Amino acid sequence: MQPSCNHCAFRSDRPFCDMSPEATREFDGIKEQAVLGKNALLFAEGRPSRGVYILCEGRAKLSICSESGNRLMLRVAGPGEVLGLGATLSGESYEVTAELLDTAQVVFVKRKDLLKFLRENPSICMEVVRRLSDDLHGAYERVRSIGLSRARRARVQRVRPMAS
Amino acid sequence: MLSPYGLDIIESCLTCKMRADQIFCDLPEAALQSFEQIKYATAYPKGAILFVEGQAPRGIFVLCKGRVKLSICSTDGKTLILKIAEAGEVLGLSASVSGKPYELTAETIDPCQVNFVKREDFLRFLKEHADACLRVAEQLSEKYNSACREIRSLGLSHSAAEKLAKLLLEWTTKNGEGAKQEPRIKLALTHEEIAQMIGTSRETVTRLFAEMKKRQIVQAKGSTLVIRNKTALKALATT
Repeated sequence: MQPSCNHCAFRSDRPFCDMSPEATREFDGIKEQAVLGKNALLFAEGRPSRGVYILCEGRAKLSICSESGNRLMLRVAGPGEVLGLGATLSGESYEVTAELLDTAQVVFVKRKDLLKFLRENPSICMEVVRRLSDDLHGAYERVRSIGLSRARRARVQRVRPMAS
Repeated sequence: MLSPYGLDIIESCLTCKMRADQIFCDLPEAALQSFEQIKYATAYPKGAILFVEGQAPRGIFVLCKGRVKLSICSTDGKTLILKIAEAGEVLGLSASVSGKPYELTAETIDPCQVNFVKREDFLRFLKEHADACLRVAEQLSEKYNSACREIRSLGLSHSAAEKLAKLLLEWTTKNGEGAKQEPRIKLALTHEEIAQMIGTSRETVTRLFAEMKKRQIVQAKGSTLVIRNKTALKALATT
């Protein structure tokens, strides 16, 4: 039996985790919890999406890669964030690579279970929509900073502060 | 109904024939009924601006017919086209949900029919209809996906030639010609607009097209571009 999210001290501070007691119980039923080591790969860009990962603690690095192997760091995700949401909901392959920066506890929810859970819990579905909107805002911000700065050097300089 | 732009206005979503093919529009009967109550069907001419980046969100625009150019702008006036949205897409979605200013500018490039829904009405609608909420999540995911692709192409490509080759290849897969030996693309955008899509200048795009024609990689037939040498184009895209 896995520990319930009900006992989590951080639950109320995290928009996604802050569900009603009934929903939490249901969520406990579909989640898989694990502690993964530093540098563990949660998912890789281009792989078919299996489900979402919720970071209970620790940080994860999100990056994208070109065919020639160049890597661009998008951002660092912190505790309470839901990763792989976009790919999981649309059923496409993961659009980024997520790699843990610390040894951390993560919760995994399978795609099928998540969709069913969201259908039954409209308020959480709404929260997911909000999450996705924020992700999208961040991505457009990034497009702006990369695409509209003229010199290549200026782009590189802008890339770094975003990593924090 | 006759309209000034030669558009057939679809007054009701309930009788819309294209509904089944669109992710957002294909809602269950009950949700559709209440969507019908809150939407305003409007028509816009070519070149109309639906919303401007930085504006407080008024609501969402469901594109029924026509195409809309989505772009972002820098403070010194440079424009970058992110996407040409087509029928069935919902515009201004993430801004309306999060309440942050619109992050893009949407401008029609054809006469368009657009169904507008006010922000408060839309949020209430989503709360009441879980199905619609999931559809919205799906749409947002798709947009996120394409934003990531854009970041990849802008941030990790080295040359304008590489980006142009990638764009042409993407268009061939989109219009279903990707598998053919000599795929054809109908160029609906000007060189200026193509330049804005890949973040370069109009002059560079014109020069690149001329070079590709000289090397027999592409051939122009009116506004149709025939890709004569797909292998060479792919090689350009991966350098």
